[in-house]
Amino acid sequence: MEKPIIKGVIEKEKVVVDGIELDGTWNAFLVERTQTGYDPSVWDEIANTLEGVTISACWQCGTCTSGCTMREYDPNFGPRKFIDLARKGDKQALAELQDSLWRCVSCQKCTHRCPKGVMVEEVVHAIHNYALKHGLVKKDPGTVFDELFLDTVMKNGGRISELLLGSASAKAGFVTMSLRDLITMSVPLIKSGLIKDLLKPNKVKNWDRIKSVLEEAMKEEVRPE
Amino acid sequence: MSTNNPYGKVAFYPGCALDGLGKSYDVSLRLVAEDLGLKFERLDDYNCCGALEVKNVNTMAGLLLPARNLSLARKIGANAIMSACPGCHYSLSRTQYYMSKYTKVREKVNAYLEKMGEKPYDLQLMTIHAVEYFYNTVGVEGIKAKVKRPLTGLKVAPYYGCLYTRPKPYTLAGYMKLKDDPERPIFMDELLKALGAEVVPFEAKTMCCGGPHVYSDVEVALHLEARILKEARRNGADMLVVDCPLGGVALETNMNKIAEKYGEDLRMPIVYFTQLMAFAFGHSPEEALLTANLTNPMSILKKYL
Repeated sequence: MEKPIIKGVIEKEKVVVDGIELDGTWNAFLVERTQTGYDPSVWDEIANTLEGVTISACWQCGTCTSGCTMREYDPNFGPRKFIDLARKGDKQALAELQDSLWRCVSCQKCTHRCPKGVMVEEVVHAIHNYALKHGLVKKDPGTVFDELFLDTVMKNGGRISELLLGSASAKAGFVTMSLRDLITMSVPLIKSGLIKDLLKPNKVKNWDRIKSVLEEAMKEEVRPE
Repeated sequence: MSTNNPYGKVAFYPGCALDGLGKSYDVSLRLVAEDLGLKFERLDDYNCCGALEVKNVNTMAGLLLPARNLSLARKIGANAIMSACPGCHYSLSRTQYYMSKYTKVREKVNAYLEKMGEKPYDLQLMTIHAVEYFYNTVGVEGIKAKVKRPLTGLKVAPYYGCLYTRPKPYTLAGYMKLKDDPERPIFMDELLKALGAEVVPFEAKTMCCGGPHVYSDVEVALHLEARILKEARRNGADMLVVDCPLGGVALETNMNKIAEKYGEDLRMPIVYFTQLMAFAFGHSPEEALLTANLTNPMSILKKYL
Protein backbone atom coordinates (compact mmCIF):
# COMPACT_ATOMS: atom_id res chain seq x y z
CA MET A 1 0.00 0.00 0.00
CA GLU A 2 1.29 3.46 -0.87
CA LYS A 3 1.48 5.85 2.02
CA PRO A 4 0.27 9.39 1.72
CA ILE A 5 3.22 11.85 1.89
CA ILE A 6 1.21 14.73 3.15
CA LYS A 7 0.22 14.90 6.79
CA GLY A 8 -3.42 15.35 7.50
CA VAL A 9 -4.78 13.35 4.61
CA ILE A 10 -8.21 11.75 4.77
CA GLU A 11 -8.22 8.31 3.21
CA LYS A 12 -11.47 6.59 2.32
CA GLU A 13 -12.08 2.92 1.76
CA LYS A 14 -14.13 3.47 -1.34
CA VAL A 15 -14.72 6.59 -3.40
CA VAL A 16 -17.20 6.75 -6.23
CA VAL A 17 -17.42 9.87 -8.40
CA ASP A 18 -20.04 10.04 -11.13
CA GLY A 19 -20.55 6.33 -10.94
CA ILE A 20 -16.83 5.51 -11.37
CA GLU A 21 -14.85 4.01 -8.48
CA LEU A 22 -11.47 5.68 -7.80
CA ASP A 23 -8.53 3.76 -6.43
CA GLY A 24 -4.84 4.24 -5.52
CA THR A 25 -3.96 7.70 -4.23
CA TRP A 26 -7.05 9.18 -5.84
CA ASN A 27 -9.06 8.28 -2.80
CA ALA A 28 -7.07 10.55 -0.51
CA PHE A 29 -8.09 14.10 0.30
CA LEU A 30 -6.22 16.88 2.08
CA VAL A 31 -7.63 17.97 5.39
CA GLU A 32 -8.95 21.45 5.07
CA ARG A 33 -6.64 23.76 6.93
CA THR A 34 -7.07 27.34 7.97
CA GLN A 35 -4.19 29.27 9.41
CA THR A 36 -5.06 32.26 11.49
CA GLY A 37 -3.09 35.05 13.07
CA TYR A 38 -1.92 36.86 9.94
CA ASP A 39 -1.15 40.50 10.50
CA PRO A 40 -1.22 42.62 7.34
CA SER A 41 0.45 45.51 9.16
CA VAL A 42 3.81 43.67 9.00
CA TRP A 43 4.15 44.29 5.26
CA ASP A 44 3.11 47.95 5.62
CA GLU A 45 5.53 48.63 8.42
CA ILE A 46 8.50 47.03 6.65
CA ALA A 47 7.67 48.70 3.33
CA ASN A 48 7.71 52.01 5.18
CA THR A 49 11.36 51.72 6.24
CA LEU A 50 14.30 52.89 4.13
CA GLU A 51 15.79 49.39 4.03
CA GLY A 52 12.55 47.55 3.43
CA VAL A 53 10.91 49.77 0.83
CA THR A 54 11.64 47.41 -2.09
CA ILE A 55 9.93 44.41 -0.44
CA SER A 56 6.80 44.94 -2.54
CA ALA A 57 8.65 44.48 -5.83
CA CYS A 58 9.48 40.83 -5.09
CA TRP A 59 7.79 38.28 -7.34
CA GLN A 60 9.02 35.25 -5.40
CA CYS A 61 11.21 33.74 -8.13
CA GLY A 62 13.82 32.55 -5.62
CA THR A 63 16.88 33.80 -7.53
CA CYS A 64 18.14 35.38 -4.30
CA THR A 65 17.81 32.16 -2.36
CA SER A 66 19.29 29.79 -4.96
CA GLY A 67 22.65 31.58 -4.78
CA CYS A 68 22.53 32.52 -1.10
CA THR A 69 25.80 32.03 0.82
CA MET A 70 24.06 31.38 4.12
CA ARG A 71 21.57 28.82 2.84
CA GLU A 72 24.33 26.21 2.48
CA TYR A 73 24.83 26.35 6.21
CA ASP A 74 21.28 26.83 7.37
CA PRO A 75 18.47 25.29 5.32
CA ASN A 76 15.98 27.47 7.18
CA PHE A 77 17.67 30.60 5.87
CA GLY A 78 16.02 31.93 2.75
CA PRO A 79 15.40 35.52 1.66
CA ARG A 80 12.51 34.46 -0.58
CA LYS A 81 10.79 32.75 2.33
CA PHE A 82 11.43 35.65 4.71
CA ILE A 83 9.88 38.08 2.23
CA ASP A 84 6.90 35.77 1.69
CA LEU A 85 6.24 35.38 5.42
CA ALA A 86 6.65 39.09 6.09
CA ARG A 87 4.23 40.04 3.35
CA LYS A 88 1.67 37.51 4.54
CA GLY A 89 2.22 38.83 8.03
CA ASP A 90 2.84 35.35 9.40
CA LYS A 91 4.34 36.42 12.71
CA GLN A 92 4.27 32.92 14.15
CA ALA A 93 6.48 31.55 11.35
CA LEU A 94 8.84 34.53 11.62
CA ALA A 95 9.19 33.93 15.36
CA GLU A 96 10.09 30.30 14.70
CA LEU A 97 13.02 31.53 12.59
CA GLN A 98 14.76 32.92 15.69
CA ASP A 99 18.01 31.09 14.91
CA SER A 100 18.05 31.90 11.19
CA LEU A 101 16.72 35.42 10.58
CA TRP A 102 19.90 37.15 11.79
CA ARG A 103 22.47 35.10 9.92
CA CYS A 104 22.80 37.10 6.68
CA VAL A 105 26.50 37.75 5.98
CA SER A 106 25.81 40.68 3.63
CA CYS A 107 27.65 39.24 0.60
CA GLN A 108 25.16 41.05 -1.66
CA LYS A 109 24.88 38.29 -4.24
CA CYS A 110 21.08 38.31 -3.83
CA THR A 111 20.82 42.08 -4.26
CA HIS A 112 22.98 41.91 -7.36
CA ARG A 113 21.05 39.07 -8.96
CA CYS A 114 17.46 40.09 -8.18
CA PRO A 115 15.67 40.62 -11.51
CA LYS A 116 13.12 42.92 -9.90
CA GLY A 117 15.44 45.39 -8.24
CA VAL A 118 14.61 44.32 -4.69
CA MET A 119 17.45 45.36 -2.37
CA VAL A 120 17.30 41.88 -0.89
CA GLU A 121 20.08 42.17 1.68
CA GLU A 122 18.55 45.38 3.03
CA VAL A 123 15.06 43.86 3.06
CA VAL A 124 16.28 40.81 5.00
CA HIS A 125 17.75 43.15 7.61
CA ALA A 126 14.53 45.18 7.66
CA ILE A 127 12.53 42.01 8.34
CA HIS A 128 14.94 40.98 11.08
CA ASN A 129 14.77 44.44 12.60
CA TYR A 130 10.98 44.25 12.59
CA ALA A 131 11.11 40.90 14.38
CA LEU A 132 13.51 42.32 16.96
CA LYS A 133 11.52 45.49 17.49
CA HIS A 134 8.26 43.63 18.05
CA GLY A 135 9.79 41.00 20.28
CA LEU A 136 9.19 38.12 17.86
CA VAL A 137 12.81 37.02 18.26
CA LYS A 138 15.36 37.40 21.03
CA LYS A 139 18.54 39.40 20.56
CA ASP A 140 21.05 37.33 18.58
CA PRO A 141 24.88 37.29 18.50
CA GLY A 142 24.96 39.23 15.21
CA THR A 143 22.98 42.10 16.67
CA VAL A 144 25.04 42.05 19.86
CA PHE A 145 28.17 42.47 17.72
CA ASP A 146 26.61 45.22 15.57
CA GLU A 147 25.71 47.21 18.68
CA LEU A 148 29.14 46.64 20.09
CA PHE A 149 30.65 47.98 16.88
CA LEU A 150 28.61 51.19 17.00
CA ASP A 151 29.39 51.57 20.67
CA THR A 152 33.13 51.21 20.00
CA VAL A 153 32.98 53.85 17.26
CA MET A 154 31.12 56.26 19.55
CA LYS A 155 33.40 55.75 22.52
CA ASN A 156 36.72 55.87 20.69
CA GLY A 157 36.56 59.10 18.80
CA GLY A 158 34.77 57.98 15.66
CA ARG A 159 37.19 55.27 14.67
CA ILE A 160 37.65 51.59 15.38
CA SER A 161 40.70 49.40 15.52
CA GLU A 162 40.86 45.65 15.36
CA LEU A 163 42.29 45.46 18.87
CA LEU A 164 39.61 47.66 20.43
CA LEU A 165 36.91 45.72 18.66
CA GLY A 166 38.55 42.40 19.50
CA SER A 167 38.81 43.17 23.19
CA ALA A 168 35.26 44.52 23.34
CA SER A 169 34.05 41.34 21.63
CA ALA A 170 35.99 39.17 24.06
CA LYS A 171 34.35 41.04 26.92
CA ALA A 172 30.94 40.37 25.40
CA GLY A 173 31.74 36.68 25.44
CA PHE A 174 32.69 36.03 21.82
CA VAL A 175 35.56 33.62 21.33
CA THR A 176 37.99 35.64 19.29
CA MET A 177 41.56 34.47 19.43
CA SER A 178 43.58 31.75 21.04
CA LEU A 179 46.90 32.38 22.73
CA ARG A 180 48.64 30.87 19.72
CA ASP A 181 46.88 33.32 17.40
CA LEU A 182 47.95 36.22 19.57
CA ILE A 183 51.57 35.09 19.50
CA THR A 184 51.56 34.62 15.72
CA MET A 185 50.05 38.07 15.44
CA SER A 186 52.27 40.00 17.78
CA VAL A 187 55.67 39.01 16.35
CA PRO A 188 55.34 40.69 12.92
CA LEU A 189 53.38 43.57 14.45
CA ILE A 190 56.08 44.39 16.95
CA LYS A 191 58.89 43.86 14.41
CA SER A 192 57.31 46.24 11.91
CA GLY A 193 56.36 48.78 14.58
CA LEU A 194 52.71 48.57 13.60
CA ILE A 195 51.64 47.73 17.14
CA LYS A 196 51.83 51.42 18.13
CA ASP A 197 49.16 52.41 15.61
CA LEU A 198 46.92 49.61 16.73
CA LEU A 199 47.03 50.49 20.39
CA LYS A 200 46.41 54.17 19.83
CA PRO A 201 44.04 54.85 16.95
CA ASN A 202 43.74 58.48 15.94
CA LYS A 203 40.58 60.29 16.83
CA VAL A 204 38.35 62.61 14.85
CA LYS A 205 39.22 66.19 15.88
CA ASN A 206 35.77 67.50 16.61
CA TRP A 207 34.34 64.23 17.82
CA ASP A 208 32.44 65.42 20.89
CA ARG A 209 30.32 67.78 18.84
CA ILE A 210 29.79 65.21 16.06
CA LYS A 211 28.92 62.55 18.59
CA SER A 212 26.21 64.63 20.22
CA VAL A 213 24.65 65.38 16.81
CA LEU A 214 24.80 61.66 15.97
CA GLU A 215 23.08 60.77 19.21
CA GLU A 216 20.32 63.25 18.45
CA ALA A 217 20.01 62.01 14.85
CA MET A 218 19.72 58.40 15.96
CA LYS A 219 16.38 59.15 17.58
CA GLU A 220 14.92 60.18 14.23
CA GLU A 221 12.76 57.80 12.23
CA VAL A 222 13.77 57.63 8.59
CA ARG A 223 11.14 57.02 5.93
CA PRO A 224 11.73 56.30 2.25
CA GLU A 225 10.56 59.66 0.94
CA MET B 1 54.38 58.98 -19.54
CA SER B 2 50.91 60.37 -19.95
CA THR B 3 48.44 59.45 -17.27
CA ASN B 4 44.83 59.14 -18.16
CA ASN B 5 42.60 60.59 -15.45
CA PRO B 6 38.87 60.12 -15.89
CA TYR B 7 38.12 61.09 -12.28
CA GLY B 8 39.23 64.69 -11.80
CA LYS B 9 40.46 65.48 -8.30
CA VAL B 10 40.55 62.39 -6.11
CA ALA B 11 40.14 62.26 -2.33
CA PHE B 12 41.56 59.15 -0.67
CA TYR B 13 39.38 57.77 2.12
CA PRO B 14 41.59 55.39 4.12
CA GLY B 15 39.06 54.06 6.60
CA CYS B 16 39.87 52.60 10.00
CA ALA B 17 41.23 49.31 8.64
CA LEU B 18 44.06 51.08 6.81
CA ASP B 19 45.13 52.82 10.00
CA GLY B 20 45.00 49.50 11.85
CA LEU B 21 45.98 46.01 10.80
CA GLY B 22 45.74 47.10 7.17
CA LYS B 23 48.52 49.66 7.59
CA SER B 24 50.66 47.76 5.09
CA TYR B 25 47.92 48.37 2.51
CA ASP B 26 47.94 52.11 3.24
CA VAL B 27 51.71 52.46 3.17
CA SER B 28 52.20 50.41 -0.01
CA LEU B 29 49.32 52.13 -1.78
CA ARG B 30 50.82 55.55 -1.22
CA LEU B 31 54.25 54.25 -2.20
CA VAL B 32 53.13 52.94 -5.58
CA ALA B 33 50.92 55.94 -6.26
CA GLU B 34 53.98 58.15 -5.82
CA ASP B 35 56.04 55.91 -8.14
CA LEU B 36 53.31 56.13 -10.75
CA GLY B 37 52.91 59.89 -10.39
CA LEU B 38 49.31 59.63 -9.21
CA LYS B 39 48.06 62.47 -7.07
CA PHE B 40 45.27 62.33 -4.52
CA GLU B 41 44.53 63.98 -1.21
CA ARG B 42 44.24 61.82 1.90
CA LEU B 43 41.28 62.66 4.16
CA ASP B 44 43.00 62.72 7.52
CA ASP B 45 40.09 63.71 9.75
CA TYR B 46 37.81 60.96 8.45
CA ASN B 47 35.51 58.93 10.69
CA CYS B 48 34.48 55.28 10.58
CA CYS B 49 32.13 54.53 7.66
CA GLY B 50 29.98 52.29 9.85
CA ALA B 51 30.89 49.23 7.77
CA LEU B 52 28.21 46.55 7.61
CA GLU B 53 27.34 46.83 11.27
CA VAL B 54 26.08 50.32 12.11
CA LYS B 55 23.41 50.33 9.37
CA ASN B 56 21.76 47.33 11.06
CA VAL B 57 21.52 49.09 14.40
CA ASN B 58 20.37 52.54 13.38
CA THR B 59 19.32 53.79 9.95
CA MET B 60 20.28 57.42 10.51
CA ALA B 61 23.71 56.62 11.97
CA GLY B 62 24.30 54.28 9.04
CA LEU B 63 23.76 57.20 6.68
CA LEU B 64 25.36 60.01 8.65
CA LEU B 65 28.75 58.41 9.32
CA PRO B 66 29.54 57.91 5.61
CA ALA B 67 27.88 61.23 4.70
CA ARG B 68 30.34 63.17 6.83
CA ASN B 69 33.22 61.61 4.88
CA LEU B 70 31.58 62.46 1.58
CA SER B 71 31.17 66.01 2.80
CA LEU B 72 34.85 66.19 3.80
CA ALA B 73 35.85 65.12 0.30
CA ARG B 74 33.72 67.86 -1.26
CA LYS B 75 35.20 70.39 1.13
CA ILE B 76 38.61 69.88 -0.48
CA GLY B 77 36.99 70.12 -3.92
CA ALA B 78 37.28 66.47 -4.89
CA ASN B 79 35.30 64.98 -7.77
CA ALA B 80 35.81 61.38 -6.72
CA ILE B 81 36.34 59.57 -3.43
CA MET B 82 38.62 56.54 -3.53
CA SER B 83 38.46 53.83 -0.88
CA ALA B 84 40.96 51.03 -0.57
CA CYS B 85 38.58 48.97 1.54
CA PRO B 86 35.58 47.52 -0.34
CA GLY B 87 33.59 47.81 2.90
CA CYS B 88 34.13 51.56 2.99
CA HIS B 89 33.51 51.78 -0.76
CA TYR B 90 30.19 50.03 -0.16
CA SER B 91 29.13 52.24 2.78
CA LEU B 92 29.97 55.49 1.00
CA SER B 93 28.20 54.34 -2.17
CA ARG B 94 25.18 53.23 -0.15
CA THR B 95 24.75 56.64 1.45
CA GLN B 96 25.22 58.30 -1.93
CA TYR B 97 22.45 56.04 -3.30
CA TYR B 98 19.94 56.79 -0.56
CA MET B 99 20.69 60.50 -0.53
CA SER B 100 20.25 60.69 -4.32
CA LYS B 101 17.07 58.70 -4.33
CA TYR B 102 15.12 60.19 -1.45
CA THR B 103 14.79 63.97 -1.16
CA LYS B 104 13.67 64.05 2.47
CA VAL B 105 16.43 61.67 3.53
CA ARG B 106 18.93 63.96 1.82
CA GLU B 107 17.52 67.04 3.52
CA LYS B 108 17.62 65.39 6.94
CA VAL B 109 21.17 64.09 6.53
CA ASN B 110 22.34 67.48 5.30
CA ALA B 111 20.67 69.27 8.21
CA TYR B 112 22.59 67.07 10.65
CA LEU B 113 25.83 67.56 8.72
CA GLU B 114 25.41 71.31 9.14
CA LYS B 115 24.82 70.83 12.86
CA MET B 116 28.12 68.97 12.98
CA GLY B 117 29.77 71.97 11.35
CA GLU B 118 30.23 70.26 7.99
CA LYS B 119 29.14 71.29 4.51
CA PRO B 120 25.90 69.75 3.22
CA TYR B 121 26.75 67.03 0.73
CA ASP B 122 25.88 67.97 -2.87
CA LEU B 123 25.99 64.43 -4.37
CA GLN B 124 28.77 65.43 -6.76
CA LEU B 125 31.21 62.61 -6.00
CA MET B 126 31.95 59.43 -7.87
CA THR B 127 32.76 56.60 -5.46
CA ILE B 128 35.66 54.46 -6.63
CA HIS B 129 37.84 51.64 -5.37
CA ALA B 130 41.64 51.61 -5.45
CA VAL B 131 41.80 48.73 -7.95
CA GLU B 132 39.59 50.65 -10.40
CA TYR B 133 41.63 53.74 -9.77
CA PHE B 134 44.95 52.17 -10.77
CA TYR B 135 43.38 50.28 -13.66
CA ASN B 136 41.67 53.32 -15.16
CA THR B 137 44.44 55.88 -14.64
CA VAL B 138 47.94 54.49 -15.23
CA GLY B 139 46.53 51.21 -16.50
CA VAL B 140 48.37 48.06 -17.45
CA GLU B 141 50.96 49.79 -19.67
CA GLY B 142 51.80 52.40 -17.03
CA ILE B 143 52.42 49.68 -14.46
CA LYS B 144 54.47 47.52 -16.83
CA ALA B 145 56.79 50.47 -17.42
CA LYS B 146 57.63 50.69 -13.69
CA VAL B 147 58.34 47.03 -13.00
CA LYS B 148 61.94 46.42 -11.94
CA ARG B 149 61.46 43.00 -10.38
CA PRO B 150 59.17 41.02 -12.70
CA LEU B 151 57.34 38.39 -10.68
CA THR B 152 57.74 35.77 -13.41
CA GLY B 153 56.41 32.39 -12.40
CA LEU B 154 54.62 33.62 -9.28
CA LYS B 155 51.17 32.07 -9.21
CA VAL B 156 48.61 34.32 -7.59
CA ALA B 157 44.90 34.06 -6.83
CA PRO B 158 43.20 37.49 -6.79
CA TYR B 159 40.55 37.83 -4.07
CA TYR B 160 38.29 40.88 -4.54
CA GLY B 161 35.72 40.33 -1.81
CA CYS B 162 31.95 40.72 -1.99
CA LEU B 163 31.65 44.45 -1.83
CA TYR B 164 34.23 45.57 -4.38
CA THR B 165 31.49 45.74 -7.00
CA ARG B 166 28.33 44.71 -5.25
CA PRO B 167 25.55 45.61 -5.13
CA LYS B 168 25.49 47.40 -8.47
CA PRO B 169 22.78 49.97 -7.61
CA TYR B 170 25.25 51.37 -5.06
CA THR B 171 28.63 50.94 -6.74
CA LEU B 172 27.27 51.29 -10.30
CA ALA B 173 29.43 48.32 -11.25
CA GLY B 174 28.67 46.89 -14.66
CA TYR B 175 27.02 50.09 -15.83
CA MET B 176 30.06 51.73 -17.41
CA LYS B 177 33.52 50.98 -18.72
CA LEU B 178 35.17 52.45 -15.62
CA LYS B 179 33.55 49.79 -13.43
CA ASP B 180 34.38 46.12 -13.13
CA ASP B 181 32.11 43.11 -13.59
CA PRO B 182 30.03 42.47 -10.44
CA GLU B 183 30.46 38.68 -10.35
CA ARG B 184 33.65 37.97 -12.27
CA PRO B 185 35.86 41.03 -11.94
CA ILE B 186 39.11 41.25 -13.93
CA PHE B 187 40.77 44.60 -13.11
CA MET B 188 43.06 43.24 -10.39
CA ASP B 189 43.93 40.23 -12.59
CA GLU B 190 45.18 42.67 -15.22
CA LEU B 191 47.20 44.67 -12.69
CA LEU B 192 48.87 41.50 -11.40
CA LYS B 193 49.61 40.22 -14.90
CA ALA B 194 51.29 43.56 -15.60
CA LEU B 195 53.69 42.75 -12.73
CA GLY B 196 54.67 39.54 -14.52
CA ALA B 197 52.74 37.25 -12.17
CA GLU B 198 50.61 34.39 -13.39
CA VAL B 199 46.96 34.70 -12.38
CA VAL B 200 45.46 31.28 -11.79
CA PRO B 201 41.81 30.53 -12.63
CA PHE B 202 39.96 31.45 -9.44
CA GLU B 203 36.23 31.06 -8.96
CA ALA B 204 36.27 32.37 -5.39
CA LYS B 205 37.14 35.93 -6.47
CA THR B 206 34.02 37.45 -4.96
CA MET B 207 32.99 34.72 -2.53
CA CYS B 208 32.04 35.72 0.98
CA CYS B 209 34.62 35.47 3.79
CA GLY B 210 31.96 35.66 6.49
CA GLY B 211 33.21 39.18 7.32
CA PRO B 212 30.41 40.67 9.45
CA HIS B 213 30.01 37.43 11.40
CA VAL B 214 33.64 36.46 12.11
CA TYR B 215 32.94 36.83 15.80
CA SER B 216 29.24 36.04 16.04
CA ASP B 217 28.98 33.02 13.70
CA VAL B 218 32.49 31.62 13.95
CA GLU B 219 32.11 28.15 12.47
CA VAL B 220 30.39 29.45 9.34
CA ALA B 221 33.00 32.18 8.88
CA LEU B 222 35.85 29.69 9.21
CA HIS B 223 34.32 27.39 6.63
CA LEU B 224 33.72 30.26 4.22
CA GLU B 225 37.33 31.37 4.60
CA ALA B 226 38.64 27.84 4.16
CA ARG B 227 36.62 27.57 0.98
CA ILE B 228 38.42 30.57 -0.52
CA LEU B 229 41.85 29.19 0.40
CA LYS B 230 40.92 25.75 -0.89
CA GLU B 231 39.91 27.14 -4.25
CA ALA B 232 43.22 29.03 -4.47
CA ARG B 233 45.21 25.94 -3.48
CA ARG B 234 43.33 23.70 -5.90
CA ASN B 235 44.30 25.98 -8.76
CA GLY B 236 47.94 25.94 -7.76
CA ALA B 237 48.25 29.48 -6.34
CA ASP B 238 51.35 30.35 -4.28
CA MET B 239 49.60 33.19 -2.51
CA LEU B 240 46.30 34.98 -2.17
CA VAL B 241 46.33 38.62 -3.29
CA VAL B 242 43.60 40.73 -1.73
CA ASP B 243 42.16 44.21 -2.19
CA CYS B 244 40.00 43.99 0.92
CA PRO B 245 41.39 44.61 4.40
CA LEU B 246 38.32 43.00 5.99
CA GLY B 247 38.85 39.75 4.12
CA GLY B 248 42.62 40.03 4.39
CA VAL B 249 42.61 40.54 8.15
CA ALA B 250 39.94 37.87 8.74
CA LEU B 251 41.89 35.31 6.72
CA GLU B 252 45.24 36.21 8.26
CA THR B 253 44.09 36.16 11.87
CA ASN B 254 42.10 32.94 11.40
CA MET B 255 44.82 31.12 9.44
CA ASN B 256 45.87 28.93 12.38
CA LYS B 257 42.31 27.87 13.11
CA ILE B 258 41.60 27.17 9.44
CA ALA B 259 44.76 25.08 9.07
CA GLU B 260 43.94 23.10 12.19
CA LYS B 261 40.40 22.40 11.16
CA TYR B 262 40.59 22.06 7.38
CA GLY B 263 44.17 20.97 6.74
CA GLU B 264 47.68 22.40 6.86
CA ASP B 265 47.87 22.56 3.06
CA LEU B 266 45.48 25.52 3.13
CA ARG B 267 48.06 27.68 4.86
CA MET B 268 49.22 30.30 2.37
CA PRO B 269 50.58 33.84 2.43
CA ILE B 270 48.20 36.73 1.98
CA VAL B 271 49.31 40.09 0.56
CA TYR B 272 47.63 43.28 -0.55
CA PHE B 273 47.88 43.92 -4.29
CA THR B 274 49.63 47.23 -3.65
CA GLN B 275 52.31 45.45 -1.59
CA LEU B 276 53.02 43.18 -4.52
CA MET B 277 53.12 46.22 -6.82
CA ALA B 278 55.55 48.02 -4.50
CA PHE B 279 57.75 44.92 -4.34
CA ALA B 280 57.74 44.54 -8.13
CA PHE B 281 58.58 48.25 -8.50
CA GLY B 282 61.81 47.55 -6.63
CA HIS B 283 60.95 48.56 -3.07
CA SER B 284 62.39 46.57 -0.20
CA PRO B 285 60.15 44.21 1.79
CA GLU B 286 60.42 46.58 4.76
CA GLU B 287 59.27 49.60 2.70
CA ALA B 288 56.27 47.65 1.41
CA LEU B 289 55.63 46.42 4.99
CA LEU B 290 55.69 42.84 3.67
CA THR B 291 57.30 42.09 7.02
CA ALA B 292 54.11 43.08 8.86
CA ASN B 293 51.95 40.43 7.21
CA LEU B 294 51.02 37.69 9.65
CA THR B 295 51.31 34.98 7.01
CA ASN B 296 54.94 35.62 5.97
CA PRO B 297 54.74 36.29 2.21
CA MET B 298 58.54 36.77 2.06
CA SER B 299 58.93 32.99 2.36
CA ILE B 300 57.85 32.87 -1.28
CA LEU B 301 58.86 36.32 -2.51
CA LYS B 302 62.49 36.09 -1.35
CA LYS B 303 63.52 34.36 -4.57
CA TYR B 304 62.80 37.60 -6.47
CA LEU B 305 65.03 39.74 -4.26
